[in-house]
Amino acid sequence: MDRRKMLALLGVGPALVAGAPSYARTAPTATPEATTPMTDRLITAVNPAVTPGLPKRVPLAPRLDTLDGKTIYLVDTDWGGMGQNASILEEMQAWFAEHMPAVKTIIKVKKGNFVTDDPALWKEIADAKGDGVVLGVAG
Amino acid sequence: MSLEAGEIEQKYGIPTVAAAGSNVVSFGIGANFTYNTGMPIRYVGVPFPFSGQPRSVLKAYIEGKDTVTGKPMMHAIVDGLTKSLTAEEKMSGTPPESTPEPRLLPADTEDNLQRLFKEKCWTDYNPVIIPTQERVAAMMKGTSHKPDEIVKSAAGTFGTRRPFTVEKVATLAVMAGAKPEYLPVILTLASQVPYQDSTTSIAQMVVVNGPIRNEIGMNAGLGALGPNNDANSVIGRSMTLIHKIIQGYDEGVTGFASLSNPLRYDNLCFAENEEALPQGWQPLHVQAGHKPTDSMLTIFTGWNFINSTGWVEQHYAPQMLMRDYMSTLSGMGAALIMDPSVAELLNNVQGFATKEKLAEWLSRNVEKTAGSYWGNSIVSSMLGPLGAQGLEPYASWKKLPGDAVIKPFTNPKGIHAVVVGGKTASVWFATDFMPGPSVSIDAWR
Repeated sequence: MDRRKMLALLGVGPALVAGAPSYARTAPTATPEATTPMTDRLITAVNPAVTPGLPKRVPLAPRLDTLDGKTIYLVDTDWGGMGQNASILEEMQAWFAEHMPAVKTIIKVKKGNFVTDDPALWKEIADAKGDGVVLGVAG
Repeated sequence: MSLEAGEIEQKYGIPTVAAAGSNVVSFGIGANFTYNTGMPIRYVGVPFPFSGQPRSVLKAYIEGKDTVTGKPMMHAIVDGLTKSLTAEEKMSGTPPESTPEPRLLPADTEDNLQRLFKEKCWTDYNPVIIPTQERVAAMMKGTSHKPDEIVKSAAGTFGTRRPFTVEKVATLAVMAGAKPEYLPVILTLASQVPYQDSTTSIAQMVVVNGPIRNEIGMNAGLGALGPNNDANSVIGRSMTLIHKIIQGYDEGVTGFASLSNPLRYDNLCFAENEEALPQGWQPLHVQAGHKPTDSMLTIFTGWNFINSTGWVEQHYAPQMLMRDYMSTLSGMGAALIMDPSVAELLNNVQGFATKEKLAEWLSRNVEKTAGSYWGNSIVSSMLGPLGAQGLEPYASWKKLPGDAVIKPFTNPKGIHAVVVGGKTASVWFATDFMPGPSVSIDAWR
């Protein structure tokens, strides 16, 4: 197909794609830097890097001596929102039932969504004397 | 999740183990601990991807290995709850501050500095202008603010502390190739960190409104979205450098975008063609309640950028094709970026007296199936849980069969129109980009 016809078909005028030839552009003006070989000249640059602040270190809670007789909450963050996490936590629960039957597990679903906090649930777990929490699953 | 686990551990003294996909677990253990929580949460890693896998695979993951320790997954969880704390896990108080970055780098050659900037990830991997003291001082003439003024402290991803000064922004502006007159716009951009990140291909779009567009020569006309204008290109590039250097986005350390997004090279930076708006259509910043004489900047965040491909045809009104294309978007929000010729057709021929009228029509007419709606994991992650908790219309939509038709854009205020372009074709883009607040550029002059 003729190039002009093809461009017309696409709604593009030949003048739009032709443009000006690069050799028609104005020659660059010489700068002082251009007169000194760049490879040899030492340059002092301002440092772009930012100094990160570090948060206070916070210790973890003391660990349990054993899980026997303890209640572990398996908290579903509902990442994905369509029940995927529930399947994983149910498999964890099944594993505890089979391999560590002395451990009581309770599955809870967090309110809100995966980016929101649920302080009421953490308090509920504490009030119910929960011994440990498995929180998940983020992906 | 580190914050929630930390809250349970610290506030209630309950030992906690967090489970995360192997794709992101190193962030929780590494950067998030170091710069955000200060608490070495015990994580286990679940093989990725787990979403979309059948139950049999998920069961195998639980019976398989923890990707962090290499131990059987459930043994690692039991250890996480019972194994005594290490010395590091017992640490408290203020850690030694990281070594302050010196204001100046050791003198070196151009080649070596270019190499250093690449090694330090202080670049988008195109060459930068080396920020000499003279160049930075010249750049500072673009603002009345003092070099040592703190622009923002909570600049890191998730708001971690990375305080930075006006001079730091001027340094990055030099590196991007900016002129001093661009600096107020670039400072405004910097004041809005942290920009949203994700493992998904999220990106930003920058729209400038008001008098400064013409004062600094931004392009709102022909070729405005392409590499055809100094101010658009350089200001957009500055945002990439701000994201990487000031916010501290480091792929594989503080960020994990699997594919990332080519829009992140220049962040779709352009000015609205306010002069070409049809009668009754307001500029974006005026819609947000600002004066036409205010110079404002709006950062949009989104994923999709669908091209109309061709021009508007007489036999199919533009809003009809916009409706069709928008049915592939999430429904959480949209921005239509259109040539002034499209805006004129919508206004004069189709009768949309304002941008808002167009948004209302689209809100009423865009449709998609419930299956497709919930198939978008951003929608299902953000709104699925709310539906499960009874929030309408998501609660009802979750109960629908997959082929049921819904109108996903429930809120017309979430649909925006921005007019830009040179009137050589009646073309447009349908995007799911959602705006943050319009912020003042004048405050940084």
